[in-house]
Amino acid sequence: MKLGWLEGRITFLLLAVAAVCLPLFDDSYAGVIATRACIYWILISGLNLVVGYAGQIAIGWVALLTLGAYTTAVLTAGTATPALQPYVALLASAAVGAVSGVIVGLPALRLRTFYFAMTTLGFATIVTQIALAWKDVTGGGIGTPGPVFPFPFAPGWGFYYFCLILAVLCTWMTANIAASRFGRSLIAIRDAEVAAEASGVSKPALLMTVFVLSGALAGVAGGLFSSLQSYITPDAFNFDLSVLFFIAILIGGRGSILGPLLGTILLTVLPEIAAPLVAWSTFLYAALLLLIVLLIPGGIADMLDYKNRRPLQQHREIVPRPELLPALLDGTRRGALELTDVALAFGGVRAIDGLSLDFHSGEVHGLIGPNGSGKTTTLNVISGYYHPQAGTAQLNGATLPFGAPHRRASFRIARTFQTPRLVGGASVLENVMLGGTIDGQGTFAESLLTLPRHRSDERMLRERALQALTIVGLETLAQVRADRLQHSELRFMEIARALTLRPAFLMLDEPAAGLSTEEIRRLGTLIKAISHAGTGVLLVEHHADLIFDICDRVTVLNLGKILAAGTPAEIRSHREVVSAYLGA
Amino acid sequence: MLASIVSYGLAVGAVYALIGITYNVMFAASRVFSFTAGMLGMLGGVLGAYFIDKLGMPTIVGFGAVLACGAAMGVITEFVAVRPVLKSIEQHLYVLSTLAFALLIAQFTAIQWGTDASPFPRLIPIGEGLLDQKFWIPMLSCAATVLGLEFLYRRTLIGRAFLAIAEDAYAARALGLPEVRLRLASFALAGVIGSLAGFAGGEMLLAFFGNQAILNFYGFVPVALGGMGNNRGALIAGLLLGLFQQAANFLVGGIFASVAVFVVFIIVLLLRPEGFAGASGARRV
Amino acid sequence: MPISAPDPLLQVKNLRAGYGKIIVLDGIDLTITPGEVVALLGPNGAGKSTLLKAVSGLLPRTGTVTFAGKNISTASPRAIVEGGLVHVVEGHRVFTQLTVFDNVLLAGYGMKSDLLHRQAEEALAFFPEIAAKRADKAGSLSGGQQQMLAVAQGLVRKPRLLMLDEPSAGLSPVLVDRVLAAAAQLRDAGTAVLLVEQLIEKALKLADRVYALARGSIVLEAKTSEPDLHNRLERAYFGTDK
Repeated sequence: MKLGWLEGRITFLLLAVAAVCLPLFDDSYAGVIATRACIYWILISGLNLVVGYAGQIAIGWVALLTLGAYTTAVLTAGTATPALQPYVALLASAAVGAVSGVIVGLPALRLRTFYFAMTTLGFATIVTQIALAWKDVTGGGIGTPGPVFPFPFAPGWGFYYFCLILAVLCTWMTANIAASRFGRSLIAIRDAEVAAEASGVSKPALLMTVFVLSGALAGVAGGLFSSLQSYITPDAFNFDLSVLFFIAILIGGRGSILGPLLGTILLTVLPEIAAPLVAWSTFLYAALLLLIVLLIPGGIADMLDYKNRRPLQQHREIVPRPELLPALLDGTRRGALELTDVALAFGGVRAIDGLSLDFHSGEVHGLIGPNGSGKTTTLNVISGYYHPQAGTAQLNGATLPFGAPHRRASFRIARTFQTPRLVGGASVLENVMLGGTIDGQGTFAESLLTLPRHRSDERMLRERALQALTIVGLETLAQVRADRLQHSELRFMEIARALTLRPAFLMLDEPAAGLSTEEIRRLGTLIKAISHAGTGVLLVEHHADLIFDICDRVTVLNLGKILAAGTPAEIRSHREVVSAYLGA
Repeated sequence: MLASIVSYGLAVGAVYALIGITYNVMFAASRVFSFTAGMLGMLGGVLGAYFIDKLGMPTIVGFGAVLACGAAMGVITEFVAVRPVLKSIEQHLYVLSTLAFALLIAQFTAIQWGTDASPFPRLIPIGEGLLDQKFWIPMLSCAATVLGLEFLYRRTLIGRAFLAIAEDAYAARALGLPEVRLRLASFALAGVIGSLAGFAGGEMLLAFFGNQAILNFYGFVPVALGGMGNNRGALIAGLLLGLFQQAANFLVGGIFASVAVFVVFIIVLLLRPEGFAGASGARRV
Repeated sequence: MPISAPDPLLQVKNLRAGYGKIIVLDGIDLTITPGEVVALLGPNGAGKSTLLKAVSGLLPRTGTVTFAGKNISTASPRAIVEGGLVHVVEGHRVFTQLTVFDNVLLAGYGMKSDLLHRQAEEALAFFPEIAAKRADKAGSLSGGQQQMLAVAQGLVRKPRLLMLDEPSAGLSPVLVDRVLAAAAQLRDAGTAVLLVEQLIEKALKLADRVYALARGSIVLEAKTSEPDLHNRLERAYFGTDK
């Protein structure tokens, strides 16, 4: 978590103590507000994973609250079905919420941000309209009474404790997810989707899981809300509530649990204090949202994040320790990755034209050529982003299917990118841990409840990531937020992330771009050592001196075809290559 | 019944199409999807009623004042909600900043002029029944706007500069086109078109702050179906949407008409995210 | 080697530029005198395009850039274009939805209408094959014709310095000659040209002077008439022999 372990825990603890002691004041109005805050938080904690972590702009989440509220109320009242126990009806609300969460969330997999925001908004509009129209069941505009929960959570403080217990549970569960490989993957989807994919994160599966969880929590919140309101009408679920949920998260800060929790409390309590302004509340919410977006996009969490405001040491030096590589990489791997007669055209332009290329464990294979000659395209074919029209790829003799970039990690194929793909809001360590995501054994549910497998996964990933960071020479920056790093450090961080996968094949896309001469020399030594530890390296680079220094073999591309291939010495004296570069 | 579906549907559809075009005009100059389109439409209705009914302005003066306010609101949008977040457009902060700004204005309107829908004045008492002014004014406004935009984009250099920026802002900047001024101009233009939509459709939609959300969604449907930035697509999809909605209204009832629109919207988007008329964006190699 | 020239048209001093955190260029010094053709050579990724963008204001930069006696270090691309320094960016990025003639007209946006039309005609006259297609959409032109159109756009304002970024990329040899011949005509008409080119032979034939850029710095500056230029370039490209 962003706020740091200790600072965060103390605030949570204080909040919990205050909440438990609240009934001592014997102020039933305060009790209603606190209950409402708990209910809102049950919804917001789930929505926080969708908005704050996965970065999906789901603005119509009030629809799920509405559905949950009506489900519990209607099932308890028995207008459409035999009357159910309120607790059973609440479970039904959770189920309805989970299913609706998937329905609302599904478009996120295919649509652009704004389109998705619009679909959630549209969903919110029609849910309210259906509630108005389906009079037999919902009572239409007149509304329907909410359920009354029997002992032990009867209305009043009993119900308050019920909501509080659930709210605490939600805090704990979502914090567990946030601190797990699933939480890191969600943030990675938000900030660097391509890097998440290359690390083996399957966006559809993960997002759907989160939508289910978040929808279920919203459904439960709705059920509780209907009981708190004691009587619900479609008016109770206007769009202002959606805005409130959203602002609580943004005020709190994306990628934080404590921040949105504080935001929720603030937004629930403030209107009560500022009662004369009640007509202006939505106006003020909107103004607040605008100010936050424009002035402090990081929210409360960022403002409290003292740790990352401490100045970093100037003139830092990256000193890799390649001698530690054998401990991380399994040097016994032997194999080859081969492309045969691959052809790929975009529209009429042939980006790769009958390319055959292989690279083997333990060697560094350089890939050079002028701009547009197909170097990065070749990497993208191997890592599954492009689907060539012809040709085959083989990994250790078995066919490597084209496409499906998120499956590459399971073949132990890792890569870096021309522009470093960093998860800016996460620490360097978390960025690097992302690389080992697929080696986690535990399921989402196990992480939700911190079961043993989750804990051993985390230990293993942390250990491995620290190892990789030490190897590239960034271990002292492990806890620093990644977006504070210098460009050259980001390049090495990406290599560490790739190494955390323990790759059999590593593809580096212009790793030396933007590095100083000394850093390039160190990078060269590191790459060489990675190959000696058994990993096959495919190196795309413009720095001819680096290529000629460390490569075992070099392939020169021009216009999507191989112009020359051989040892660095052969290439260096190859007449056509020299002229391709000098353009005779 | 058929005749009333057609005239009512085309009139509402024209308003939707105009809001869709408002989205497009803002998008073209900035690559920003702005939630303020519905707000502009809402303002057109509310301000029109205020200027003409409450302040007693002559219709034509009130009309001019509404359009001027719309243009000003467009410019303010650019300054407040768009420019500050353009630098990091890939973070999609504009979704939130424009949403917040639209809500802000809508709520201010509600506080200032009340949360109840109030009637909109009859502007030009010509025509009756299904040829009533409340039907032909939106259609005429829509036709005039589409023709005006066609003229602007095809016949004037400034219009072609808009198109150039929409296609390749970087190349436009390299050529020395005044990108910032053109962006401001197109937001002002969007303000005019959006407020015109609300003004023209005022008699049908009334002067109501809640129109902001309704127009935002129903105005976006033509954009999504017609393809982002495609004004002809928005026109056709907007009219079809109006007809479809009215037909569903008559046949299965208003609520299920909304559901039907939403379902069609989702299904089309999932099948063709770029819309029916939108090209899937040629790749620049 | 010092160049004896009166007043430089363009003077770049200690220029530093890049993309975000990535510093691509550092400590660049460069001068161009009126009417000369200068070739800017260098391997891929050396920063040639970045240099042009930094000069024309398309990228943030630090350092001093003086053009025709005026400090343009902080000027906007628009002000720089209007001041007579025009940059034809790489990749023939013409507006495919607009007609050929509209593309040319837009390059002179803001000029008086009659002057604009006259100079647009003159710019088109350099390339009869695209002048014949003036009413066609630019998207219907071939890559080579689009490149000519891009160069024609660069001519509309009759700049004092024209910066051409890889005008030959993707063109057949014949077309390359046509584009470069236009550059030569410009030189004869007194316009200075800064040319980024992959085809070194052709660039050297046209240019009076050459700068080589590698790893973000100028590694060589020479007159094209100097002997042994090729070997010196090769050494500059591939790094010094170790």
